[in-house]
Amino acid sequence: MIAAVVTSLLLGAAADPCAPVEPAGPADAAAAAAYRSVAEAEAASGSRDTAVLAYRHAAELDPADRSSRDALGRYCRDAPHPDPFRDGMARMDAGDRRGAIAAFRAARARSDDPTIALMEGICHYELGEDREAEPLLRAAERSPDDADVASLYLGLVALRGGEAAKAAALFDAASATPGLAPVAADLARFARTDGRWALTIFADSGFDSNVNLAPLQGTPSREGDGVYALGATGLFRPRGPDGPYFRAQGLLNQQFHLSAYDVAGGDLAGGWQVLTARWSALAEYDLGYRTFGGSPFLTSNRLLASAWTAVGGVTLGASYLARFESYASGFSPFSGTVQAGELRTSFGVGSRARLALAYGLARDAARLSILSYVEQGPRAELRVAMSRRVRLGVDLAGTFRAYDVFDPSLGALRRDTYLDAGALAEWDLRPGWTAHAGLRGRQALSNVAGFEYGKLVPTIGVAYTFSP
Amino acid sequence: MIATGLSLALAVAISAAPGADEHLLAGARAFRDGHFDAALVEFRVAERLGASDAGAYAAASLVQLGRPEEAVEAFASSPPGDDDLLDWYRALACYEARLYTSASRLAAKLQLSGPKAAAAVEKLRADLARVLAPEPQQASIDWYFARCDDLRQRGRGALAAAYCREAADLGERRTDRYGVARASAVLTRLDPGARHEVKP
Repeated sequence: MIAAVVTSLLLGAAADPCAPVEPAGPADAAAAAAYRSVAEAEAASGSRDTAVLAYRHAAELDPADRSSRDALGRYCRDAPHPDPFRDGMARMDAGDRRGAIAAFRAARARSDDPTIALMEGICHYELGEDREAEPLLRAAERSPDDADVASLYLGLVALRGGEAAKAAALFDAASATPGLAPVAADLARFARTDGRWALTIFADSGFDSNVNLAPLQGTPSREGDGVYALGATGLFRPRGPDGPYFRAQGLLNQQFHLSAYDVAGGDLAGGWQVLTARWSALAEYDLGYRTFGGSPFLTSNRLLASAWTAVGGVTLGASYLARFESYASGFSPFSGTVQAGELRTSFGVGSRARLALAYGLARDAARLSILSYVEQGPRAELRVAMSRRVRLGVDLAGTFRAYDVFDPSLGALRRDTYLDAGALAEWDLRPGWTAHAGLRGRQALSNVAGFEYGKLVPTIGVAYTFSP
Repeated sequence: MIATGLSLALAVAISAAPGADEHLLAGARAFRDGHFDAALVEFRVAERLGASDAGAYAAASLVQLGRPEEAVEAFASSPPGDDDLLDWYRALACYEARLYTSASRLAAKLQLSGPKAAAAVEKLRADLARVLAPEPQQASIDWYFARCDDLRQRGRGALAAAYCREAADLGERRTDRYGVARASAVLTRLDPGARHEVKP
């Protein structure tokens, strides 16, 4: 008897439990009753597979046990019930969110596991059905295991609904979980500038090693100076992120000693941003004004169009701008039209970093032809979330500029190359407050020696964002 | 590896009632071979035929079958501390049933031999430390109370007590001891035996 049972288990465990029942040696009504009792308990708990197994053993050990045979026959006639949660996950992975929602709904009818509500809520969110998503995410938020992810998605729902402060608080809560911290902290920071209105002010100070862009050798000699910058940006979006927006910016960039290089200015912009589940785009007009050395310098009118979409984990985007520049007398030969376009992509690198790559092409058609040029080149940005509050960034860019015509005064058709590099560290001091330290460098190369220069600009600063 | 250890430990420890031994042995072999549904059936049959210690092995099988709450209930019939391998499964059951403080207490006492087993225990301890590091939120404690209340109404007193005990333990980790008094009151109403049994 022992051998029969052990053998049947060792071999039969992997065999079809619905195969025809054969007697397993001499009848053993007591053992069969025990198996039947186990089968009934398993059936009562909804565990079909173990119930079938136990009914089968009962039927094998007692040919007279009709109730076990009947129960086994009933189970085996019914098609195996697929696990609706697994089905939902598979459909979700395949991008069939409607199918996944139906499966998760079926799974919730069987179980009150908050994880099922969470996944169904995520599907609704991804379909833009925030009203359906929110109660499901709220249900999941009450479970300690799912609270962090639920908070993250509730934050996204709040953000899409224009409730930026609520979204920021939810992202802050989600960022307490190490695995979510990089994305949640970024979203919290983004949310603080993504309400119906936001005002950001900043103060920077640093040192510019080559204010006058002097060449490496010869005259003029290089002049370094300390610099400080104050700025403010106000943003108003009466309908939230999806709709019209208005922006005002002011900037004051003062040298400690070389006041002839002071820059001040402001911008007024208005635009429209469209956000959909598949793609996003914006169009914007910007009026800019700059002074240089305390005197009027530039007035510009800029038109900008940009669009982007996400394909899996990769964001693809393109933008185009046309800026109509009018320089003050003394600089008026530079007046003209700048057109620039850029193709860009960004994607995650591991769980904490994101890399953006772009290639730009620009044309500056200045009034004076020797000042007109075409430039192009690649750009790369790497952002790494070192911890919940600290981010590092590295930027690299190369720009290759070719002027239109031969410049008789230089005796050359000028060709420049600009190599730019930057490193940035940001530290979120507390909600709204960010400290940053940066180092920017440029090496300008040219076929005209007087236009070759290098400079380094280390800076430190702090920024604060007001938002509703 | 741990499953093999459990089946070997069980095989040498068999001293159950006549008729139950063969089912314990069959369960051990099925468990060793990864046929946890078959193991559960055999251990349950052994239990019904008089093997009083089969319940803990059935509980281990339930853990492997992804039925942690039933495993916690099954483990309630035997106290922890007698067998490190069973206590490993008991800790896993608590962890997967979100009874984190109970799992943490069990994991702290585990001393499994062998590098893989020790590494698994260390990972469990690390996971628990991560989960229990922040101060519990009131909403989390309320979730445990809701689970406790729901299970109590379904007549699953032992498991209900485990969730209320968890609410109390989480409340103790807060400076305002949120929910501790409420949990004590509920636990007093629950079956005292069950309350005692589920506390590792």
